[in-house]
Amino acid sequence: MTENLVEKANEILDKAQLAAAEFHQFDQQQTDRIVEAVFRAGFSNRVKLAKMAQEETGMGIWEHKVIKNVLGTQLVYESIRNEKTVGIISSDAKSGITEIAQPLGPILAVIPVTNPTSTAMFKILICLKSRNPIIISAHRGAAKSCAETVRICYEAAMQAGAPEDCIQMISSGSRDFTQMIMAHPKIALILATGGTGLVKAAYSSGNPAIGVGPGNVPVFIDESADLPFAISSIIASKTFDNGTICASEQAIVVVNSIEQEVKAEFERQHCYFLRDDEIKKVEKIAIVAESGSMSPFIVGQPVSVIAEKAGITVPEGTKILIAKLSGIGKDYPLSVEVLAPVLAFYSAENYHSAINICIDLNYLGGIGHSACIYANDEKRIMEFSELLNAGRILVNTPTSQGAVGYFYNNLPPSLTLGCGTGGKNITTENITARNLINIQRVSRRKPNELWFSHDQLKYFDEALTTEELMKDYYKNH
Amino acid sequence: MVEFNYNPDEKILTVIFNGRMDSVAALKLNEIFDGVLIMKDRKPDDRLVFDLKEVDFIASSFIRICVCHAKLAGAGKFSITHCQPFVKKTFKISGVDEVLNIN
Repeated sequence: MTENLVEKANEILDKAQLAAAEFHQFDQQQTDRIVEAVFRAGFSNRVKLAKMAQEETGMGIWEHKVIKNVLGTQLVYESIRNEKTVGIISSDAKSGITEIAQPLGPILAVIPVTNPTSTAMFKILICLKSRNPIIISAHRGAAKSCAETVRICYEAAMQAGAPEDCIQMISSGSRDFTQMIMAHPKIALILATGGTGLVKAAYSSGNPAIGVGPGNVPVFIDESADLPFAISSIIASKTFDNGTICASEQAIVVVNSIEQEVKAEFERQHCYFLRDDEIKKVEKIAIVAESGSMSPFIVGQPVSVIAEKAGITVPEGTKILIAKLSGIGKDYPLSVEVLAPVLAFYSAENYHSAINICIDLNYLGGIGHSACIYANDEKRIMEFSELLNAGRILVNTPTSQGAVGYFYNNLPPSLTLGCGTGGKNITTENITARNLINIQRVSRRKPNELWFSHDQLKYFDEALTTEELMKDYYKNH
Repeated sequence: MVEFNYNPDEKILTVIFNGRMDSVAALKLNEIFDGVLIMKDRKPDDRLVFDLKEVDFIASSFIRICVCHAKLAGAGKFSITHCQPFVKKTFKISGVDEVLNIN
């Protein structure tokens, strides 16, 4: 069995490596032609693939998955289409440095069940744009929709002259097999979008990996905020695809002075504040008691399903369930990330207490991901931004649609959001094609005048002080 | 696209390629190789040399042809010669350069 898997892994990687060899010979024009063809194919199938993904996973809302597919195709394409990713990408006569882009080689792209078709198309586009063959590792819960996505994209790529086997797919039926591929010496990079365990496996594989971190996005509504606007924005975001985006809001934090006004506005806009006994019931079905993390059975489910599972009755048309909590951590299960229309709610004595709550939430499993502030006070916006450990601080913006870029800001559109070292990632960037190239720097001779104009033998003299050496170094400059 | 040159004294069959060896060319090559007697009826001690002096692009399918013929020729009986640096690098990236004995 293991021998068969090794053989299978070798076969996939041999094909990918041959594709990489062919791909590296392509110029920018040939590359761009393939990327455009794949964008067009993916984009024209956006509705079909969205419906397939929703039906297969039972998560989210198909219309919202269409928007995600638009992000993963049209918006990603728009953002990378004019980018130089082949050959000389910059040249600066003053510094004497010329940058040359080289492809990385076969990339293993791990696809999450929450955003399968959109993430697959996004990763295919950025890999092809950087001339890297891609191996899609689909979550077993989304294998069919991912396979169809791969088929559509691969056919379009081949018709546009792409290398054979530039897009392949494995289904994560076997964790051992996925880990075998991750650790394969022919893998150049792992693009790991998924849960903490999977990302950790990618980092432990011995191959380079760009991973993501989990989110636990706090949203601070300042007294200076436009409350109806802020709450409408939060609802539009948290209900988007039933909250499956990892950047979706997880907790709302306000000061006591505006608590009642905020609550009334949420209620006016069809959200429901759970009673204490109802909070307990929702906790039981939303959080796995042993691990303290969210239950996969409520991910991407609408309020009606969550309420039914919890055995509570909520008004018809309720958009979000809100649990007012008095603490953070394992004694308050709903203070962790829940990818469903359920929000935690905190009211603090004053501004500083409120920010402290946001920091605690941020550090409860969401370090480096995203945070949000609604305010019309620049000083507070900047103070909040410096205090939170988040790759994306979103201001007066729905976090689901804001963090992924393009819709509400100028962040690069992406379905892989770097979380920096806090999230055990190498970058806080929204990952895109430029992250998938090796940049070679051709450095012309530009002798450093400071270095060559002073006597370097003085470094060997232990009697000279640092001050004396520094003075000599800068002499006559 | 391709020429054959057999040296009976040295028992070397040199196949000289010309132009882009893309996937379309690779398909044609397979047909040509099947129809050329000196290619089909090589003796066991004949050496096979692929001359790539005039080749500026190789598709993965062409690399597969090289690997296939290296295996058919047997150990030490196949080599690739006159590779342009760009093509040489392509063989390196493919990971099969050692099998192909590239000069």
